[in-house]
Amino acid sequence: MNMETEMNLQDRPFDINDYIRLNMMPHFLCPGCGHGIALRALLWAVHELGLDKDRLAVVSGIGCSGRLSAYVDANSFHTTHGRPLAFATGLALARPDLTVIVITGDGDSLAIGGNHLIHACRRNLNMTCLMLNNEIYGMTGGQVSPTTSADRYTTTTPAGNREPVFDACALAAAAGAGFVGREVTLQVTGLKDLIRKAIAHDGFSFVEVISDCTEIYGRKNDLGASPEMMLGQKAVMRPDTYRSTVDVPFRPNALKTGVLQQTDRPEYGSSYRAMVAARQRDSGEDR
Amino acid sequence: MSSRTSGPTNVLIVGVGGQGVIMVSKVLAQLCQNQGHQVKQSEVHGMAKRGGGVFSHVRFGAQVWSPTIPEGEADILVALEWAEGLRWINFMKPDSGIFIADCQRIVPPFACRDRGRGAEPAYAPQTPEEIMEQVSTGYAMDATGMAERLGNARAANTVLLGALSTALDFAPEAWLEVIEAFVPPRTVEINRNAFLEGRAWAMAGSKRVDETASGLHRHREVARHGPVNTVVEIIDEWCKGCDICVKMCPERCLRLDGRLVAELALPDLCTGCRMCELLCPDFAIRITNTAVTDAVTEAAQ
Repeated sequence: MNMETEMNLQDRPFDINDYIRLNMMPHFLCPGCGHGIALRALLWAVHELGLDKDRLAVVSGIGCSGRLSAYVDANSFHTTHGRPLAFATGLALARPDLTVIVITGDGDSLAIGGNHLIHACRRNLNMTCLMLNNEIYGMTGGQVSPTTSADRYTTTTPAGNREPVFDACALAAAAGAGFVGREVTLQVTGLKDLIRKAIAHDGFSFVEVISDCTEIYGRKNDLGASPEMMLGQKAVMRPDTYRSTVDVPFRPNALKTGVLQQTDRPEYGSSYRAMVAARQRDSGEDR
Repeated sequence: MSSRTSGPTNVLIVGVGGQGVIMVSKVLAQLCQNQGHQVKQSEVHGMAKRGGGVFSHVRFGAQVWSPTIPEGEADILVALEWAEGLRWINFMKPDSGIFIADCQRIVPPFACRDRGRGAEPAYAPQTPEEIMEQVSTGYAMDATGMAERLGNARAANTVLLGALSTALDFAPEAWLEVIEAFVPPRTVEINRNAFLEGRAWAMAGSKRVDETASGLHRHREVARHGPVNTVVEIIDEWCKGCDICVKMCPERCLRLDGRLVAELALPDLCTGCRMCELLCPDFAIRITNTAVTDAVTEAAQ
């Protein structure tokens, strides 16, 4: 891409082709996988915020979500299973000039990388974690994940899942994440706005994207194809803008979406850099 | 007028739910009662809620038998909304009926069935000038605009009451007394001004069209959107046939072809809403909406 179009990128209307690696298209995701919609929402938010692609770092782990970093035409970092937050922590501390975005999945961040998630939330280092929750380990063959709903069939729960479900947003909020939000892929404009707020927030931002796995999860559980799965998610969602409390007792398990928590806890990176600067100053005086 | 001596005076008030049709009719009924007339009033309001059609019949005189006005018997038709006024115009006395209407348009949802960008709603096409030619006495006002300039658009119904007062033989003070008792205390001043302004406007002639209102009336909707040309590009090699665009398209204008690749089957129905583009997980659809700027459109504008 030549300099002129690069400079005008932010002035043009959003075109996803400006932000993806065209030589890697079409991507490897299954037909109807919601992860592609989540990636579009992320890149749309990046475009609206006017972020420079050279100052954007996308970090991902292993799984279906892990491949998404490779499709973004920016600095991308494909790391080990469950550890994207650990790599991103080092990256954000070493290069505070970068906008660090972590794309992870439910198995990647809640099971294998569970400790990294809670400590990333605790530190509140400035980065955005996009957790694509499709309720399954898709790429590795459809094993049960910490967010698989009750009684769902997977390759490792042939008689139905009996384990309780992890509420990732409640976990992140309790662990101290500065910004916590959730949205379904069908509400792509709302998802874009939520990611925009998350990136703009100074601190650790956790966004859970309710995605769908049609091939391995939906088909095995008779949830229909992706349009039906997406509409099913929309049917149970309850946005934060929804003010009426009338039908709340009738929908105790409704999916709360929108901004769920936003605090002004101190951001770790700035206090860390202040400490480093103070130490360097002191040691300089000692000499 | 012979009918006024022999039978009751009939006033029909129509509008859209939430505009204050009932308030207008109650003020009128109370006033007539204060002046010693027998009054019968009937209305439809419940199912209209906000945005539906509302009408109210007010009949007063020495003796009133039926609460409803027969077709072609209304002495005065007061319309708080333009199309509602036209819908009831056949209830007016053909030769001597008085037509008082606010020119503002509240376009109902069922008039927006053509969802193409820049599409004209199927709203009453008659202009205020055309209607004024059909009636002996008529006022096409910009009541909402007048009320807005006074500080509250909701006083538009009082502006129309002011115009109505010129058609009936009651003193303005008697009108104001009833209005001030009806409206919330903090809006008394604004309603008083609205009444007097509406009355002064109608006193100036027996057939008047507000220039600003009729200008607004004709071009408002077109200017807001402007015609748009939509181009739908589908990259066949990237499409995986997941069916999301087909199922989510509000106009149902896409389908999967024999190779299970999305195609635009009914291009005429496409409104360029970009739903398919936004929800395509494979980035295979691109919508380009460009404003149409050909000579025909420019001439129309």
